[in-house]
Amino acid sequence: MMLETFSYLPDMSAQQLAGQISSILSRRLMVGIEYSDAPDPYDHYWTMWKLPLFGTVDADTVLAELDSCRREHPEAFIKINGYDRVRQGQVVSFVAAKPERGT
Amino acid sequence: MFQAGVREYREIYWTPDYQPRETDVLAAFRIIPQPEVSPEEAAAAVAAESSTATWTSVWTDWLTMLDRYQARAYSLEPVPGRPDQYLAYVAYPLELFEEGSVTSMMASITGNVFGFKAIRALRLEDLRIPVALVKTFQGPPTGIQVERDRLNKYGRPLLGATLKPKLGLSPRNYGRACFELLAGGLDFTKDDENITSQPFMRWGDRYQFVMEAVHKAEQQTGERKGHYLNVTAPDCEQMLERAEFARQLGSPIIMHDFLVGGFAAHTTLARWCRRNGMLLHVHRALHAVVDRQKDHGIHFRVLAKWLRLAGGDHLHTGTVVGKLEGDRATTLGIVDLLREDFVAADRSRGIYFDQDWAALPAVLPAASGGIHVWHMPALVDIFGDDAVFQFGGGSAGHPQGSRAGATANRVALEACVQARNEGRNLAADGPQILKEAAARSPELAAALDTWREIRFDFETIDTLDVVQS
Repeated sequence: MMLETFSYLPDMSAQQLAGQISSILSRRLMVGIEYSDAPDPYDHYWTMWKLPLFGTVDADTVLAELDSCRREHPEAFIKINGYDRVRQGQVVSFVAAKPERGT
Repeated sequence: MFQAGVREYREIYWTPDYQPRETDVLAAFRIIPQPEVSPEEAAAAVAAESSTATWTSVWTDWLTMLDRYQARAYSLEPVPGRPDQYLAYVAYPLELFEEGSVTSMMASITGNVFGFKAIRALRLEDLRIPVALVKTFQGPPTGIQVERDRLNKYGRPLLGATLKPKLGLSPRNYGRACFELLAGGLDFTKDDENITSQPFMRWGDRYQFVMEAVHKAEQQTGERKGHYLNVTAPDCEQMLERAEFARQLGSPIIMHDFLVGGFAAHTTLARWCRRNGMLLHVHRALHAVVDRQKDHGIHFRVLAKWLRLAGGDHLHTGTVVGKLEGDRATTLGIVDLLREDFVAADRSRGIYFDQDWAALPAVLPAASGGIHVWHMPALVDIFGDDAVFQFGGGSAGHPQGSRAGATANRVALEACVQARNEGRNLAADGPQILKEAAARSPELAAALDTWREIRFDFETIDTLDVVQS
């Protein structure tokens, strides 16, 4: 099973992940984290991990939230979204963590 | 008292003091007058013949206030290096046009005047459509943002491919070609513009086999997929019948040749798409007949503006790289006109007027034709995320077949997006980024070996002459 953007590349290292998050933040997009045990391309509503991280400007905060979500939901796929207030929609979304049961 | 006879057009229609109103439709024409005709008279003739005038005074002119309805040539400038040519600006009052009608604009502004004898050649370079008129159009059925939301595809350009050979496959073989490409990693496959319903593959059979391929590829990959089912038909009833069948089969997208079908048919289809939640991919077959000659015809930027008004979610614009290299600035100007909500006049990109789209949905430009993996860094760099790249031969021409070709393109695309987001320069590091990605992808490695490396040096490009387009 593939999971859209970046799913045809090898899993990202921590440094690569930080690079993508920094890119979202540098575009002044708002970061949101969502998770799901059973991704389905017709499902638009994964469960939100807290509210979008309004006002967050550093990648470390996002990575820490991602880790918290992963610890609490080890069986989940977790994606990072970037919201654009001007366009009024998501402009970035990719799966940043997969279940630890051998992927 | 009525006086019969012929008057010079410029007495009425050349008004250099006129200040265009916000609600006027403004046109920029390239004119080559006949040798004995002055540029003012030629410009006035264009304004006159595309609005209220005929060749002689008529008594019924006196029954109305012509100055309320007449177009006005209000500015004129010589074209540098072309002593026989002038740019004439003409303002048309809003009241001349029917609401929500591209055909109304076409019949007036690009009607009989193009065959007028006092003018040797005439080209409509650009058109400013006032907000008051824009707001009478539906525009694209879906728009870029809702398309992304619907298909769950973010932060990267979309990938498609036209199925080849374009003619002669049976429906089942055609569906197979479609399935391999989608399963390999493309988002869309596409009918060619001349695939309609020929004896070797009737439309209903094609739709059924193709949609089986789309659905199976979705199940296998877990990603949304689509095929641009061409609904271009001999008449509007059959066009809508095909669209309806595509909807019943669960297709997320259909396709139309907007110029071949005509703006009335196309507008009908775009409205049907809005009602039915269907994406509309638009092919521009026929455009070069109208827009290719520099001296005469209609520039593609005008056709693209009309398409955004009439409605389309994707429109072919050219690739910029490869054969269309010289048209880079012009093409990027058109891409802006499709995607942005406000585009400022910029003669270095061939844009003559500010254009305010007043929240009309945006159109995704489709880059298609002769592109392959080596072009990927340049395409991502030039177009950004909001485009669809069509790799037809560049997928099915892979030595291991369509599926590997599709995977190679998808890997190349994602590697370029990842590198760009990390701050790397795609123009300079493109080949290196591809080679790094190929170390982890045998499909991409084979594709890079198959097609020759192209240069990514963007600085050798010709710049657009500020006036000539």
